Amino acid sequence: MRPLPHRLRTLAATVVTSLALLGGGPSRAEELVTALSADVVSIQSNFTGTEIVVFGQIGVDVKTVPRPGRYDLIVKVEGPAQQITTRRKGRFLGVWVNRDYETFVEVPSFYSLASTARVGELGDRELLDAHGLGLNHLNLAISGHSDVPLSERDDFRQAFLRLRADQGLYSERPESIEFLTNTMFRTTIPLPANIPIGKYSVQGYLIQDGVMLARTEQELAVAKSGFEQVTFNLAQNHPAVYGLLAVILAGITGWLAGLIFRKD
Amino acid sequence: MQLYLPIAEIPVNIFMIFGMGGAVGFLSGLFGIGGGFLLTPLLIFSGIPPAVAVATVTTQVTASSTSAVLTYWRRKAIDFKLGTMLLVGGVMGSIIGVFLFEVLQKLGQLDLVISLSYVTFLGTIGSLMLVESVRAMRRRRSGQVVRVKRPGQHNWIHGLPFKMRFRQSRLYVSVIPVITLGATIGFLGTILGIGGGFMMVPALIYLLRVPTNVVIGTSLLQILFTMATATVLHAMQTQTVDIVLALALMIGGVIGAQFGARMGQNLRGEQLRLLLALLVLLVGLRFAVDLLLTPEDLYSIAIMGGAGA
Repeated sequence: MRPLPHRLRTLAATVVTSLALLGGGPSRAEELVTALSADVVSIQSNFTGTEIVVFGQIGVDVKTVPRPGRYDLIVKVEGPAQQITTRRKGRFLGVWVNRDYETFVEVPSFYSLASTARVGELGDRELLDAHGLGLNHLNLAISGHSDVPLSERDDFRQAFLRLRADQGLYSERPESIEFLTNTMFRTTIPLPANIPIGKYSVQGYLIQDGVMLARTEQELAVAKSGFEQVTFNLAQNHPAVYGLLAVILAGITGWLAGLIFRKD
Repeated sequence: MQLYLPIAEIPVNIFMIFGMGGAVGFLSGLFGIGGGFLLTPLLIFSGIPPAVAVATVTTQVTASSTSAVLTYWRRKAIDFKLGTMLLVGGVMGSIIGVFLFEVLQKLGQLDLVISLSYVTFLGTIGSLMLVESVRAMRRRRSGQVVRVKRPGQHNWIHGLPFKMRFRQSRLYVSVIPVITLGATIGFLGTILGIGGGFMMVPALIYLLRVPTNVVIGTSLLQILFTMATATVLHAMQTQTVDIVLALALMIGGVIGAQFGARMGQNLRGEQLRLLLALLVLLVGLRFAVDLLLTPEDLYSIAIMGGAGA
């Protein structure tokens, strides 16, 4: 992230301007403003993962009496929804086979939560559940037809979260938000190489003593570009042409190799 | 050097892919097999999504068999008439295979069927080949005359109707077993995502008594066209053929296949069969172990819909 300092300056300017505009806004005492280091993450052939910087400022009205206690911040990044089946193997006639399964519908394909404190210290369960703050508070809805007994449902849920975390797609990073001044903050969200493409949502939450004071939401697009995009689009939109191209490519490669290595 | 794959949607080390393609290509040229049954598990093991691995391997096998078919063609070691009849059966088998593939996928037991089939077919064919090749080597060592073709020793297959003359193979057999064999291999190949050469070669030798000098070329011809068809079908049905991954595998594969084909000429038939038998058994054993040992993780997840499905 070499161009960062310049970007940060631009972002700081944006934040200050936004704050000025917010001056005459609603009567809420605290405001939260966030900005991203990039609106688009483009995936090219050299893509091995990247990171985005979320930058923000807490704005406190001059007339407001400063509240005692500290502010807590959360930055949550969620990827486009997926439907995921979690399967569990069991022995059947001496062989390990997939037996029970649970399908989670509309779960985020990517989930990253950065916060100033541990999730449990940020607020009560009701608040965390309502906004899906923390892996244990994610709403993992299951599809109607499930044969898994109620007592084992949590095993599937925990296994799902663990496997996604192993893939680097789900993470919870407490105390990863850095304060630059008393009110300005910054956090870096790593995006691994296996992130799915689509529209991501970046949400900022300002909490104090378990009370949600303000929140922001921004969109982040993850898209393929250049050759990656052309190839992907061809495969999706003209599959027959793509398939024939693959066969022709294979034929030419095989023929060329034969030509090059021909001895006689 | 890391390279991001446009369809698999993950970065891979391109030299590792070249290496895998080269190693499998070498064996493919040596034994006259497509190598799919080795490459597909290797790719899955290295983190490529299974659907992409299966589909992309068909493209790689197309390339390596093109190269090998040309080599055998120049050596006039292909029976085109026999190959065409096998292919007729192969296409029919593939269509049935595609249908069953979908049914199994819906039931969520495709992986199990693939593993069990690998264990069954690799185990059976590997054992048969092992026994046969060891016997042949013993006979040779004890100085007995080895007769590859045993005239007058006809099996029941030679009693079937609709006989056809295959001049190059010096065969006069019914087309029924030829088409049935092609269909069986085409069907299994589609389900397992492999060319099926390791099953085709022994079947042609032991069941149809095709002479060993044309058996590999003819089997490769059938594999080439079945795999080319499979590539197009996979691209159209599941959009999982990764052209970048395929190209990397192909380049490694065709180079390896050239060396393999040359080395194969220096080895005797039964030596080749013994080596192939051991290889086939080893892969079968690997699948058996996975089925029998308690897995490290009982749970697994699969994306069924939405982003990246």
